[in-house]
Amino acid sequence: MLEQRILEQLFRRNYSEMIYLASVLLGDDKEAEDVVQDIFLRVADSDIPPKNDNYLLTAVRNACLNRIRQMQVHDKVKGLMPIDDEADQQPIDKRLERLDDIAAYVDGQLEEPHRSIFHLRFDEDLTVSKIARRLGLNPNTVYKYLMQSIQQIRHHFEKQ
Amino acid sequence: METTKEREQNQAGLSSAEREGVRQSQTTNENIRQLLEMLDNPDAYTEQQIQDIINRDEDTRETYRLMVEAKRSSRHRQNQKPVDVDAAWQSFNQKLQPKQQGFGWMKIAASFIGVLLVSGIAFAAMHLVRLYQKQETPQTEITENVTTPVTTLPADTLTKDTVTVQPIIYDNIQLEKMLPEIAAHYDVKVIFTNDEARQLRFRFVWNPQQGIDQVISDLNQFERLTVIRKDNQITVE
Repeated sequence: MLEQRILEQLFRRNYSEMIYLASVLLGDDKEAEDVVQDIFLRVADSDIPPKNDNYLLTAVRNACLNRIRQMQVHDKVKGLMPIDDEADQQPIDKRLERLDDIAAYVDGQLEEPHRSIFHLRFDEDLTVSKIARRLGLNPNTVYKYLMQSIQQIRHHFEKQ
Repeated sequence: METTKEREQNQAGLSSAEREGVRQSQTTNENIRQLLEMLDNPDAYTEQQIQDIINRDEDTRETYRLMVEAKRSSRHRQNQKPVDVDAAWQSFNQKLQPKQQGFGWMKIAASFIGVLLVSGIAFAAMHLVRLYQKQETPQTEITENVTTPVTTLPADTLTKDTVTVQPIIYDNIQLEKMLPEIAAHYDVKVIFTNDEARQLRFRFVWNPQQGIDQVISDLNQFERLTVIRKDNQITVE
């Protein structure tokens, strides 16, 4: 078993980043905590510490993708999880950068009411009919604005 | 037959390529709208229907992928609060402790089994060595042993045979404690000429139904131990 002192150092140095990545991928704090603790239990069982800290982040990503893979289709779409196997081997920091870019684009480039509708749909998980009620709009108008926002973001990032 | 929409487009002066573009755009919008409707109420759809809607065409699939990223991006943006690493470490440590304790007990158990195994192997090895040495000893010596008068044994063996006496196991008991007890049974004295031999400890199964000479023979199977009987006296050398 790994020496307690080394394990604690590893834990304190990497936990924040690991839990953060797991939460972004799984969208569930409890599950994210389970994933990260499982990884550290495995590390504790081994006699030698991981080669580098990136190994731990990769382990988090793989564990999260495995959990998503085992989910039912209905649960996947409810949580907006990837429906197919994600074979994306893009480095983790690049993926997080892209998420930053999308957030920046939504806040900087979408106009109202598109931006508010987008936030209500993806931040608060409201359905189109609830968004329509909240903003006093026709549901068809909300569909239209939401579709326009999604297409605009897609086209912007496809060009990159 | 020309539809109303097509007629309107013709009248608007659109070329056939432009009309195709408009038609494709309408189909894409319709597919994405179906995707959004499904995402608002997935329980109203079967797994197959969900798969069909998402994978209807490359555009819809890409749109769903973008929505997955949009959701992650939203979590990414909202999830900026600092993490309490101390609390997390305490919680993890609680999970870890029982595992380590369990592992500790397993280690102790494994060591104990290891000691038993080594003792067993050592005991077997001593037997084998002594047996091998015995086979190599000259025939004359064997005849000497064989000539030990059998008539001296029955006094003990026959009387004990009538009552079933269970073997006594001396496990890790010092020889200076074990041997006098055995000797007393046969009414013989024990003399140690080798003080180191007094402290020897081993596992010995003594069957009181056996004669004293058989017991001595068994004891002599152990290396570092030589036991000799002369009349009513046993000498440990």
